[in-house]
Amino acid sequence: MSGLWRAGLIAIAFGVGSYYATGESGLFGRINLVAGTLALAAAAIVAAQRMTRGLGTPVARGLLLRRGLQLAGLVLLAVALERGATRLGFVADWTLDQRYVLSPASQSVLAALPDDLTATLYFDPEDPRVRGSRLLLRAFAADGKMTVHERVLDEAADEADALGVASSNTVVVESGGRAEVVGRPAEGTIWEALERLRRRERRAVVYFSRGAGEGDLLRGDALGYSGLAAALQTQGYRLRDLVLAATQEIPADAAALLVLAPERPLRSDSVERIREYLGRGGGLVAFLDPGRDGGLLDLLEDYGFESPDAAVVDPASGPVEGDAPGVNPLAFAYTDHPITKPLDANRMTFFLRTRPVRAAAKPRPEDRLESIVFSSNRAWLSRDLAAIDRGLAPRDRGGQPDSRFPLVATGLYPRGEDAEARIVVFGDSGLASNAYLRALYNLDLVMNSVGWVAEREDARLTRRPNALTNIQSPITPQETLTMFYGVGLLLPELFLIAGVLAWARRQRG
Amino acid sequence: MTPLRALIRKEIAVLFASPVAYLTLTMVGLVTALVFFDHLRIYNQTLFVWASSTMGGFETDTVADYINLRTLVFLPVMEQLALMLIGLVPLVTMRVFAEERARGTDELLTTTLLTPNQIVAGKFFVTFAFVGLMLAVSFVYPATSIVRAGLGLRHLLAVYTGLLVLGLGIAAVGLVCSAFTRSQLVAAVSAYAIAFTLYDFSWATAFLRERPGVAGFLDAISLHPRFGGFAEGLIIGADLVYFAALALICFGLVRLSLDLERVR
Repeated sequence: MSGLWRAGLIAIAFGVGSYYATGESGLFGRINLVAGTLALAAAAIVAAQRMTRGLGTPVARGLLLRRGLQLAGLVLLAVALERGATRLGFVADWTLDQRYVLSPASQSVLAALPDDLTATLYFDPEDPRVRGSRLLLRAFAADGKMTVHERVLDEAADEADALGVASSNTVVVESGGRAEVVGRPAEGTIWEALERLRRRERRAVVYFSRGAGEGDLLRGDALGYSGLAAALQTQGYRLRDLVLAATQEIPADAAALLVLAPERPLRSDSVERIREYLGRGGGLVAFLDPGRDGGLLDLLEDYGFESPDAAVVDPASGPVEGDAPGVNPLAFAYTDHPITKPLDANRMTFFLRTRPVRAAAKPRPEDRLESIVFSSNRAWLSRDLAAIDRGLAPRDRGGQPDSRFPLVATGLYPRGEDAEARIVVFGDSGLASNAYLRALYNLDLVMNSVGWVAEREDARLTRRPNALTNIQSPITPQETLTMFYGVGLLLPELFLIAGVLAWARRQRG
Repeated sequence: MTPLRALIRKEIAVLFASPVAYLTLTMVGLVTALVFFDHLRIYNQTLFVWASSTMGGFETDTVADYINLRTLVFLPVMEQLALMLIGLVPLVTMRVFAEERARGTDELLTTTLLTPNQIVAGKFFVTFAFVGLMLAVSFVYPATSIVRAGLGLRHLLAVYTGLLVLGLGIAAVGLVCSAFTRSQLVAAVSAYAIAFTLYDFSWATAFLRERPGVAGFLDAISLHPRFGGFAEGLIIGADLVYFAALALICFGLVRLSLDLERVR
């Protein structure tokens, strides 16, 4: 009997091994698997006969029957419990960045898309990244809106070619006869694809002022704003450049005008264009910087904002990016405003040197002005911008007490029956640059601001999938070696010594 | 001292009187260290090659996304730890019942005040505790540098919860194998065979393309896909229940083996 099961195990091992070695289930593998299974079955029968020898008494049979029934009940109970738990769908995400918990933006786009939404994962069975993608798609499919399919890349090569799938671990989302390919499945990339699928439903036009050294939407490096442009386009906005100095009127289809920290002050006639536009119920998102107001200060003051030319220094923030402590504030205090609703003290935003922007005085009683993002209450204002630019700590605090300064302010101005102007003013433009747009929750703050200004009641003000935390810091060879010798070899050595002592004691005993 | 406590004490004493327990712990420590530091070395080399070839240092976006501690060190090491459990846990479980039966001391146990359920529970408890100790030994290395690199303690705990329940599942299978034989060798080899077969049925899908139902069933009873969620940092209720159910069924089978022995 023992020879039979040994032979069976060897045959099965060779059958499975041949599959792993060649990657296919050939005749050799199949014969071995069948022969091995038969040998094991025969061995099991012989073993069962041997075991049941001497069990012929009624008492023994009764006991065994009882135990057999109990065991069967146990199996049924186990299966029922497992099925029940699967149906309940309890999942706790313990990853650092909550990568399998859908953000409100993902939930919202899922709810907005039609029921024919499908996601197909194309994969190579050997690809270890597939497991994470599978779990992520399971999270997307949890509410039943999305149907998930899987295709082995080699078996669906033609289909993959037709869809433009080039590599394993690619997801294709489809709805309404349109398809989007996601090359690196993460919640953010899948959400963007879903947004593109429903993009045709909204075509608000956002204009960017040009001609006075404003931030560049085409520039792809850290100082540019191509990331902001891509994020706006992903959410369905059409973007247009507008040279204010060369236009007579801001176009009527402008849902919002973005002014990204002009290096030179806008010409007075350009400012007048903006004033006329706001008078018609337009929307303005203005980014200022310490030392640069773009010539917008008078206009903003007319709409009730104040922004002294100084930098907010917030000692609560510590040194960031090699600058002096506090000059790049981390904001975590928000008022209850539609723009900041998805943010809270645990969802901070990062400002790269900012001036204060305060909602100071309502031009008319019916206007609504509000400061919405604040520094900590330990901040003060420095006018020594030259020192800050050189990376030095500003030393002009004098006797200023600890204070809380607003960093972003909003205004809503009903003008007539149909016209309602909206303005959002940021004290910093760096938070929307490529380097920092996706830092912390900056993207949500900026995108929600544009949404609140441009889309009014239809705005989808929400929190978007956060960028995943990929830790790429090196662990130096010296540190590695220290850990290797310190714990990697020491522990096993101690256990081995204890084992030898135990063996010696046994020999003596 | 209650009889159950006495049994647990005796099991622990027997376990640590044998060099096998220490050898197993040594193997766990060595294998984990070698696997972990080898992955760390490759990760560091790859990172430095990328950082120098792009001339961007370690600035954000200059190194490819996939070169990160999670993908290149953490997840593969955890996968190999899971495989290591199959290799080492049967060494611990093989003697638990088989040795008693071979020496005839199982007869003595039945004459004590302990019920058969208590005997099985005591042996399961000690074996499970030893598996926990094995994992505690292996916990040191990933914890040292991964917590330091900021991957997240909760993620690490999720993975170790997965490794623990996987280890307990394999131990339960090993105990069943030990309970049905007098030979420790047979117990170990059959535990290896069953655990390896049960570990991952993905090889079988190649034969079962036309039968997705059967392939789905095999996938549902496989250990490895159940461990996958934990490795990714998810605690999935159904997977926890699966491992608990596996241990429960194994408990029932061991209990059956004791009854078979008694009535024979």
